[in-house]
Amino acid sequence: MTFDCKDLERALAVPELLPDAREHAKVCDACRRELWLWSQMSGAAPGLREEWETPDLWPKIRQTLAAQQKAAKPRGLVGRFDWRMMAGIAAALTIAVSVVIMQYSRPAPAPATPQDSDFLTEQTLKEVEQTEAAYRASIDKLTRLAQPKLNASENPAAIAAREKLLVLDSEIASVRSTVSRNRFNAQLQAGLAVLYRDKQDTLKEILQSAQ
Amino acid sequence: MAAGRLTARTDADLIQASKRGDLSAFEEIYAAHAGRMKSVAFHLLADRSDAEDAVQEAFLKIYRAAGAIQFDSGLAPWIYRILLNCCYDTGRKRKRQAESPLSAEPPAIPGNAPLQVAIRQALGRIHPQYRMVFWLFEGEGFRHSEVAAILEIPEGTSKKWLFEAKRELKRLLTESRA
Repeated sequence: MTFDCKDLERALAVPELLPDAREHAKVCDACRRELWLWSQMSGAAPGLREEWETPDLWPKIRQTLAAQQKAAKPRGLVGRFDWRMMAGIAAALTIAVSVVIMQYSRPAPAPATPQDSDFLTEQTLKEVEQTEAAYRASIDKLTRLAQPKLNASENPAAIAAREKLLVLDSEIASVRSTVSRNRFNAQLQAGLAVLYRDKQDTLKEILQSAQ
Repeated sequence: MAAGRLTARTDADLIQASKRGDLSAFEEIYAAHAGRMKSVAFHLLADRSDAEDAVQEAFLKIYRAAGAIQFDSGLAPWIYRILLNCCYDTGRKRKRQAESPLSAEPPAIPGNAPLQVAIRQALGRIHPQYRMVFWLFEGEGFRHSEVAAILEIPEGTSKKWLFEAKRELKRLLTESRA
Protein backbone atom coordinates (compact mmCIF):
# COMPACT_ATOMS: atom_id res chain seq x y z
CA MET A 1 0.00 0.00 0.00
CA THR A 2 1.22 3.46 -0.85
CA PHE A 3 0.55 5.59 2.17
CA ASP A 4 -0.43 9.18 1.55
CA CYS A 5 -1.20 12.13 3.87
CA LYS A 6 -4.89 11.67 3.20
CA ASP A 7 -4.64 8.14 4.63
CA LEU A 8 -3.46 9.41 7.99
CA GLU A 9 -6.90 9.96 9.52
CA ARG A 10 -7.95 6.42 8.60
CA ALA A 11 -4.72 5.11 10.09
CA LEU A 12 -5.43 6.92 13.33
CA ALA A 13 -8.86 5.30 13.46
CA VAL A 14 -7.60 1.84 12.53
CA PRO A 15 -4.58 1.00 14.68
CA GLU A 16 -3.54 -1.78 12.27
CA LEU A 17 -2.59 0.90 9.74
CA LEU A 18 -0.34 2.82 12.12
CA PRO A 19 2.95 1.14 11.08
CA ASP A 20 2.38 2.42 7.52
CA ALA A 21 1.57 5.87 8.89
CA ARG A 22 4.79 5.92 10.93
CA GLU A 23 6.79 4.91 7.91
CA HIS A 24 5.21 7.73 5.93
CA ALA A 25 5.79 10.21 8.78
CA LYS A 26 9.55 9.73 8.41
CA VAL A 27 9.36 11.80 5.23
CA CYS A 28 6.35 14.03 6.04
CA ASP A 29 6.59 16.76 8.69
CA ALA A 30 2.83 17.41 8.87
CA CYS A 31 1.96 13.77 9.45
CA ARG A 32 4.87 13.38 11.87
CA ARG A 33 3.52 16.26 13.94
CA GLU A 34 0.00 14.81 13.85
CA LEU A 35 1.21 11.41 15.01
CA TRP A 36 3.29 13.02 17.71
CA LEU A 37 0.22 14.89 19.04
CA TRP A 38 -1.77 11.68 19.19
CA SER A 39 0.97 9.82 20.99
CA GLN A 40 1.33 12.74 23.41
CA MET A 41 -2.33 12.43 24.34
CA SER A 42 -2.00 8.68 24.87
CA GLY A 43 1.20 9.14 26.85
CA ALA A 44 -0.23 11.83 29.10
CA ALA A 45 -3.50 10.07 29.92
CA PRO A 46 -2.18 7.52 32.47
CA GLY A 47 -0.67 10.45 34.38
CA LEU A 48 -4.19 11.73 34.96
CA ARG A 49 -5.07 8.70 37.04
CA GLU A 50 -6.14 9.68 40.51
CA GLU A 51 -4.73 7.60 43.35
CA TRP A 52 -5.21 8.21 47.04
CA GLU A 53 -5.25 6.20 50.22
CA THR A 54 -8.59 5.26 51.72
CA PRO A 55 -7.79 3.17 54.79
CA ASP A 56 -11.36 3.53 56.09
CA LEU A 57 -13.14 2.41 52.93
CA TRP A 58 -12.81 -1.36 53.22
CA PRO A 59 -13.61 -1.39 56.97
CA LYS A 60 -16.78 0.59 56.20
CA ILE A 61 -17.77 -1.82 53.42
CA ARG A 62 -16.97 -4.83 55.59
CA GLN A 63 -18.94 -3.42 58.51
CA THR A 64 -21.97 -2.74 56.31
CA LEU A 65 -21.82 -6.22 54.78
CA ALA A 66 -21.45 -7.87 58.19
CA ALA A 67 -24.44 -5.90 59.48
CA GLN A 68 -26.46 -6.90 56.42
CA GLN A 69 -25.49 -10.54 56.85
CA LYS A 70 -26.58 -10.39 60.46
CA ALA A 71 -29.86 -8.69 59.59
CA ALA A 72 -30.48 -11.15 56.79
CA LYS A 73 -30.38 -14.08 59.20
CA PRO A 74 -34.00 -14.72 60.09
CA ARG A 75 -34.82 -14.90 63.76
CA GLY A 76 -36.49 -18.28 63.48
CA LEU A 77 -35.25 -21.71 62.53
CA VAL A 78 -34.14 -20.60 59.09
CA GLY A 79 -31.06 -18.72 60.20
CA ARG A 80 -29.90 -21.09 62.86
CA PHE A 81 -30.12 -24.48 61.24
CA ASP A 82 -28.78 -25.86 58.04
CA TRP A 83 -30.76 -28.17 55.81
CA ARG A 84 -29.47 -31.32 57.50
CA MET A 85 -30.78 -30.17 60.86
CA MET A 86 -34.05 -29.17 59.29
CA ALA A 87 -34.28 -32.52 57.57
CA GLY A 88 -33.86 -34.08 61.04
CA ILE A 89 -36.61 -31.89 62.42
CA ALA A 90 -38.79 -32.82 59.47
CA ALA A 91 -38.13 -36.50 60.10
CA ALA A 92 -39.09 -36.10 63.77
CA LEU A 93 -42.20 -34.24 62.71
CA THR A 94 -43.06 -37.00 60.25
CA ILE A 95 -42.71 -39.63 62.95
CA ALA A 96 -44.89 -37.60 65.32
CA VAL A 97 -47.55 -37.09 62.67
CA SER A 98 -47.37 -40.78 61.72
CA VAL A 99 -47.93 -41.79 65.33
CA VAL A 100 -50.96 -39.52 65.47
CA ILE A 101 -52.22 -40.90 62.17
CA MET A 102 -51.75 -44.51 63.28
CA GLN A 103 -53.52 -43.79 66.54
CA TYR A 104 -56.51 -42.29 64.83
CA SER A 105 -56.52 -44.62 61.85
CA ARG A 106 -57.37 -47.58 64.05
CA PRO A 107 -61.00 -48.59 63.89
CA ALA A 108 -62.77 -46.51 66.47
CA PRO A 109 -64.30 -48.50 69.28
CA ALA A 110 -67.42 -46.42 68.98
CA PRO A 111 -68.64 -43.84 66.50
CA ALA A 112 -67.40 -40.38 67.22
CA THR A 113 -69.88 -38.13 68.84
CA PRO A 114 -70.05 -34.35 69.02
CA GLN A 115 -69.08 -34.68 72.68
CA ASP A 116 -65.76 -36.31 71.81
CA SER A 117 -63.29 -33.42 71.98
CA ASP A 118 -60.77 -35.14 69.64
CA PHE A 119 -63.23 -35.04 66.76
CA LEU A 120 -64.92 -32.15 65.03
CA THR A 121 -68.60 -31.62 64.50
CA GLU A 122 -69.87 -30.97 60.98
CA GLN A 123 -70.32 -27.27 61.72
CA THR A 124 -66.86 -26.89 63.31
CA LEU A 125 -65.27 -28.78 60.46
CA LYS A 126 -66.85 -26.39 58.00
CA GLU A 127 -65.34 -23.49 59.92
CA VAL A 128 -61.94 -25.18 60.11
CA GLU A 129 -61.96 -25.85 56.38
CA GLN A 130 -62.95 -22.27 55.62
CA THR A 131 -60.16 -21.01 57.85
CA GLU A 132 -57.70 -23.37 56.20
CA ALA A 133 -58.73 -22.17 52.75
CA ALA A 134 -58.24 -18.55 53.80
CA TYR A 135 -54.90 -19.46 55.38
CA ARG A 136 -53.81 -21.24 52.21
CA ALA A 137 -54.79 -18.24 50.07
CA SER A 138 -52.83 -15.93 52.35
CA ILE A 139 -49.79 -18.21 52.22
CA ASP A 140 -50.01 -18.51 48.45
CA LYS A 141 -49.98 -14.73 48.26
CA LEU A 142 -46.95 -14.55 50.55
CA THR A 143 -45.24 -17.24 48.48
CA ARG A 144 -45.75 -15.24 45.28
CA LEU A 145 -44.14 -12.23 46.96
CA ALA A 146 -41.28 -14.07 48.62
CA GLN A 147 -40.36 -16.63 45.98
CA PRO A 148 -38.64 -14.27 43.50
CA LYS A 149 -36.55 -12.76 46.32
CA LEU A 150 -35.71 -16.20 47.62
CA ASN A 151 -34.77 -17.54 44.18
CA ALA A 152 -32.62 -14.51 43.42
CA SER A 153 -30.57 -14.80 46.59
CA GLU A 154 -27.74 -17.24 47.22
CA ASN A 155 -26.87 -16.25 50.75
CA PRO A 156 -26.84 -19.05 53.36
CA ALA A 157 -30.05 -17.84 55.01
CA ALA A 158 -31.90 -17.90 51.69
CA ILE A 159 -30.61 -21.39 50.89
CA ALA A 160 -31.71 -22.59 54.34
CA ALA A 161 -35.11 -20.93 53.86
CA ARG A 162 -35.57 -22.67 50.52
CA GLU A 163 -34.74 -26.03 52.09
CA LYS A 164 -37.11 -25.39 54.96
CA LEU A 165 -39.96 -24.45 52.63
CA LEU A 166 -39.42 -27.61 50.62
CA VAL A 167 -39.60 -29.71 53.78
CA LEU A 168 -42.69 -27.85 54.98
CA ASP A 169 -44.44 -28.20 51.61
CA SER A 170 -43.76 -31.91 51.63
CA GLU A 171 -45.10 -32.23 55.18
CA ILE A 172 -48.17 -30.16 54.38
CA ALA A 173 -48.92 -32.29 51.33
CA SER A 174 -48.54 -35.46 53.38
CA VAL A 175 -50.74 -34.30 56.26
CA ARG A 176 -53.36 -32.86 53.91
CA SER A 177 -53.55 -36.17 52.15
CA THR A 178 -54.18 -37.90 55.49
CA VAL A 179 -56.68 -35.24 56.57
CA SER A 180 -58.64 -35.74 53.37
CA ARG A 181 -59.26 -39.33 54.47
CA ASN A 182 -60.03 -38.35 58.05
CA ARG A 183 -61.56 -34.88 57.91
CA PHE A 184 -63.09 -34.90 61.39
CA ASN A 185 -59.77 -35.54 63.15
CA ALA A 186 -59.02 -32.45 65.27
CA GLN A 187 -55.42 -33.49 65.99
CA LEU A 188 -54.57 -33.77 62.31
CA GLN A 189 -56.25 -30.45 61.57
CA ALA A 190 -54.27 -28.85 64.41
CA GLY A 191 -51.03 -30.38 63.09
CA LEU A 192 -51.80 -29.00 59.64
CA ALA A 193 -52.45 -25.56 61.11
CA VAL A 194 -49.04 -25.67 62.85
CA LEU A 195 -47.33 -26.47 59.55
CA TYR A 196 -49.17 -23.67 57.78
CA ARG A 197 -48.24 -21.22 60.52
CA ASP A 198 -44.58 -22.28 60.28
CA LYS A 199 -44.64 -21.74 56.52
CA GLN A 200 -46.33 -18.38 56.92
CA ASP A 201 -43.74 -17.27 59.53
CA THR A 202 -40.89 -18.41 57.29
CA LEU A 203 -42.25 -16.49 54.31
CA LYS A 204 -42.75 -13.37 56.43
CA GLU A 205 -39.17 -13.61 57.67
CA ILE A 206 -37.91 -13.85 54.08
CA LEU A 207 -39.88 -10.78 53.09
CA GLN A 208 -38.73 -8.83 56.14
CA SER A 209 -35.07 -9.70 55.59
CA ALA A 210 -35.36 -8.69 51.91
CA GLN A 211 -36.56 -5.18 52.85
CA MET B 1 -4.76 -4.85 31.87
CA ALA B 2 -2.87 -3.71 34.95
CA ALA B 3 -0.39 -5.99 36.67
CA GLY B 4 -1.82 -8.03 39.52
CA ARG B 5 -5.08 -8.67 37.75
CA LEU B 6 -6.77 -11.79 38.97
CA THR B 7 -7.21 -14.70 36.64
CA ALA B 8 -10.73 -15.69 35.62
CA ARG B 9 -10.47 -18.87 37.69
CA THR B 10 -9.33 -17.02 40.77
CA ASP B 11 -12.06 -14.46 40.23
CA ALA B 12 -14.59 -17.29 40.02
CA ASP B 13 -13.24 -18.89 43.19
CA LEU B 14 -13.36 -15.61 45.06
CA ILE B 15 -16.88 -14.87 43.91
CA GLN B 16 -18.00 -18.37 44.88
CA ALA B 17 -16.48 -17.91 48.33
CA SER B 18 -18.07 -14.46 48.61
CA LYS B 19 -21.44 -15.97 47.76
CA ARG B 20 -21.00 -18.24 50.76
CA GLY B 21 -20.48 -15.18 52.96
CA ASP B 22 -16.66 -15.30 53.04
CA LEU B 23 -15.75 -11.64 53.53
CA SER B 24 -11.99 -12.29 53.36
CA ALA B 25 -12.46 -13.59 49.80
CA PHE B 26 -14.46 -10.50 49.00
CA GLU B 27 -11.70 -8.36 50.50
CA GLU B 28 -9.32 -9.87 47.91
CA ILE B 29 -11.63 -8.71 45.14
CA TYR B 30 -11.70 -5.29 46.76
CA ALA B 31 -7.91 -5.17 47.02
CA ALA B 32 -7.52 -6.10 43.35
CA HIS B 33 -9.96 -3.56 41.96
CA ALA B 34 -10.65 -0.74 44.42
CA GLY B 35 -7.72 1.49 43.42
CA ARG B 36 -8.66 1.63 39.77
CA MET B 37 -12.35 1.85 40.61
CA LYS B 38 -11.70 4.94 42.73
CA SER B 39 -9.80 6.52 39.85
CA VAL B 40 -12.59 5.78 37.36
CA ALA B 41 -15.20 7.09 39.80
CA PHE B 42 -13.16 10.20 40.47
CA HIS B 43 -12.84 10.80 36.78
CA LEU B 44 -16.62 10.71 36.44
CA LEU B 45 -17.55 12.58 39.60
CA ALA B 46 -14.57 14.94 40.02
CA ASP B 47 -14.73 14.58 43.79
CA ARG B 48 -12.87 12.12 45.99
CA SER B 49 -15.57 11.83 48.60
CA ASP B 50 -18.25 11.17 45.97
CA ALA B 51 -15.93 8.67 44.27
CA GLU B 52 -15.44 6.80 47.54
CA ASP B 53 -19.21 6.75 48.11
CA ALA B 54 -19.76 5.35 44.63
CA VAL B 55 -17.08 2.68 45.10
CA GLN B 56 -18.53 1.70 48.46
CA GLU B 57 -22.01 1.41 46.99
CA ALA B 58 -20.63 -0.56 44.06
CA PHE B 59 -18.97 -3.11 46.35
CA LEU B 60 -22.16 -3.54 48.37
CA LYS B 61 -24.06 -4.21 45.13
CA ILE B 62 -21.36 -6.51 43.82
CA TYR B 63 -21.54 -8.57 47.00
CA ARG B 64 -25.32 -8.78 46.87
CA ALA B 65 -25.32 -9.68 43.19
CA ALA B 66 -22.40 -12.13 43.37
CA GLY B 67 -24.75 -15.03 42.74
CA ALA B 68 -25.86 -13.60 39.42
CA ILE B 69 -22.48 -12.99 37.80
CA GLN B 70 -21.80 -14.55 34.42
CA PHE B 71 -18.11 -15.11 33.72
CA ASP B 72 -18.50 -14.87 29.95
CA SER B 73 -16.52 -11.65 29.78
CA GLY B 74 -14.69 -11.85 33.09
CA LEU B 75 -15.24 -10.24 36.43
CA ALA B 76 -13.79 -6.79 35.70
CA PRO B 77 -16.34 -5.62 33.09
CA TRP B 78 -19.19 -6.69 35.35
CA ILE B 79 -17.67 -4.86 38.33
CA TYR B 80 -17.07 -1.69 36.33
CA ARG B 81 -20.56 -1.73 34.86
CA ILE B 82 -21.92 -1.72 38.41
CA LEU B 83 -19.48 1.03 39.36
CA LEU B 84 -20.52 3.24 36.45
CA ASN B 85 -24.18 2.86 37.42
CA CYS B 86 -23.32 3.79 41.02
CA CYS B 87 -21.41 6.84 39.75
CA TYR B 88 -24.42 7.93 37.71
CA ASP B 89 -26.65 7.45 40.77
CA THR B 90 -24.25 9.43 42.95
CA GLY B 91 -24.07 12.12 40.30
CA ARG B 92 -27.85 12.32 40.12
CA LYS B 93 -28.11 12.59 43.91
CA ARG B 94 -25.50 15.28 43.98
CA LYS B 95 -27.26 17.11 41.19
CA ARG B 96 -30.52 17.03 43.12
CA GLN B 97 -28.82 18.20 46.32
CA ALA B 98 -26.69 20.93 44.84
CA GLU B 99 -28.98 21.77 41.96
CA SER B 100 -25.92 21.95 39.79
CA PRO B 101 -25.10 19.76 36.79
CA LEU B 102 -22.89 16.68 37.21
CA SER B 103 -20.18 18.17 35.04
CA ALA B 104 -20.19 21.92 35.26
CA GLU B 105 -19.06 23.72 32.15
CA PRO B 106 -15.30 23.25 32.24
CA PRO B 107 -13.09 26.30 32.12
CA ALA B 108 -11.39 27.26 28.89
CA ILE B 109 -7.93 25.75 28.46
CA PRO B 110 -5.18 28.26 29.12
CA GLY B 111 -2.67 28.33 26.28
CA ASN B 112 0.28 27.75 28.56
CA ALA B 113 -1.24 24.89 30.58
CA PRO B 114 0.91 21.80 30.99
CA LEU B 115 -0.25 19.02 28.68
CA GLN B 116 -1.87 16.90 31.43
CA VAL B 117 -3.80 19.85 32.83
CA ALA B 118 -4.84 20.84 29.32
CA ILE B 119 -5.99 17.31 28.53
CA ARG B 120 -7.95 17.10 31.78
CA GLN B 121 -9.74 20.30 30.94
CA ALA B 122 -10.28 19.35 27.32
CA LEU B 123 -11.75 16.00 28.39
CA GLY B 124 -14.47 17.91 30.20
CA ARG B 125 -15.49 19.50 26.92
CA ILE B 126 -15.88 16.44 24.72
CA HIS B 127 -18.85 14.09 24.35
CA PRO B 128 -19.29 11.99 27.53
CA GLN B 129 -19.23 8.71 25.59
CA TYR B 130 -15.99 9.61 23.83
CA ARG B 131 -14.56 10.81 27.13
CA MET B 132 -15.45 7.53 28.85
CA VAL B 133 -13.82 5.39 26.17
CA PHE B 134 -10.72 7.61 26.11
CA TRP B 135 -10.45 7.42 29.86
CA LEU B 136 -10.95 3.66 30.17
CA PHE B 137 -8.59 2.86 27.29
CA GLU B 138 -5.86 5.47 27.58
CA GLY B 139 -6.16 6.41 31.23
CA GLU B 140 -6.98 3.12 32.93
CA GLY B 141 -5.39 0.74 30.46
CA PHE B 142 -8.38 -1.41 29.56
CA ARG B 143 -8.31 -3.18 26.20
CA HIS B 144 -10.96 -2.35 23.61
CA SER B 145 -12.64 -5.70 24.27
CA GLU B 146 -12.90 -4.80 27.95
CA VAL B 147 -14.09 -1.25 27.29
CA ALA B 148 -16.71 -2.72 24.97
CA ALA B 149 -17.85 -5.18 27.65
CA ILE B 150 -17.99 -2.48 30.34
CA LEU B 151 -19.96 -0.03 28.24
CA GLU B 152 -21.94 -2.78 26.49
CA ILE B 153 -21.04 -1.54 23.04
CA PRO B 154 -19.42 -3.34 20.09
CA GLU B 155 -15.63 -3.38 20.09
CA GLY B 156 -15.61 -1.47 16.81
CA THR B 157 -17.64 1.29 18.45
CA SER B 158 -15.09 1.50 21.25
CA LYS B 159 -12.33 1.99 18.67
CA LYS B 160 -14.37 4.58 16.79
CA TRP B 161 -15.24 6.56 19.90
CA LEU B 162 -11.60 6.56 20.97
CA PHE B 163 -10.65 8.00 17.60
CA GLU B 164 -13.38 10.64 17.89
CA ALA B 165 -12.28 11.47 21.42
CA LYS B 166 -8.68 12.00 20.36
CA ARG B 167 -9.68 14.03 17.35
CA GLU B 168 -11.80 16.31 19.54
CA LEU B 169 -9.08 16.56 22.16
CA LYS B 170 -6.51 17.43 19.55
CA ARG B 171 -8.77 20.12 18.16
CA LEU B 172 -9.31 21.65 21.59
CA LEU B 173 -5.63 21.45 22.52
CA THR B 174 -4.38 22.99 19.29
CA GLU B 175 -7.06 25.70 19.45
CA SER B 176 -5.97 26.64 22.96
CA ARG B 177 -2.35 26.84 21.91
CA ALA B 178 -3.00 28.79 18.72
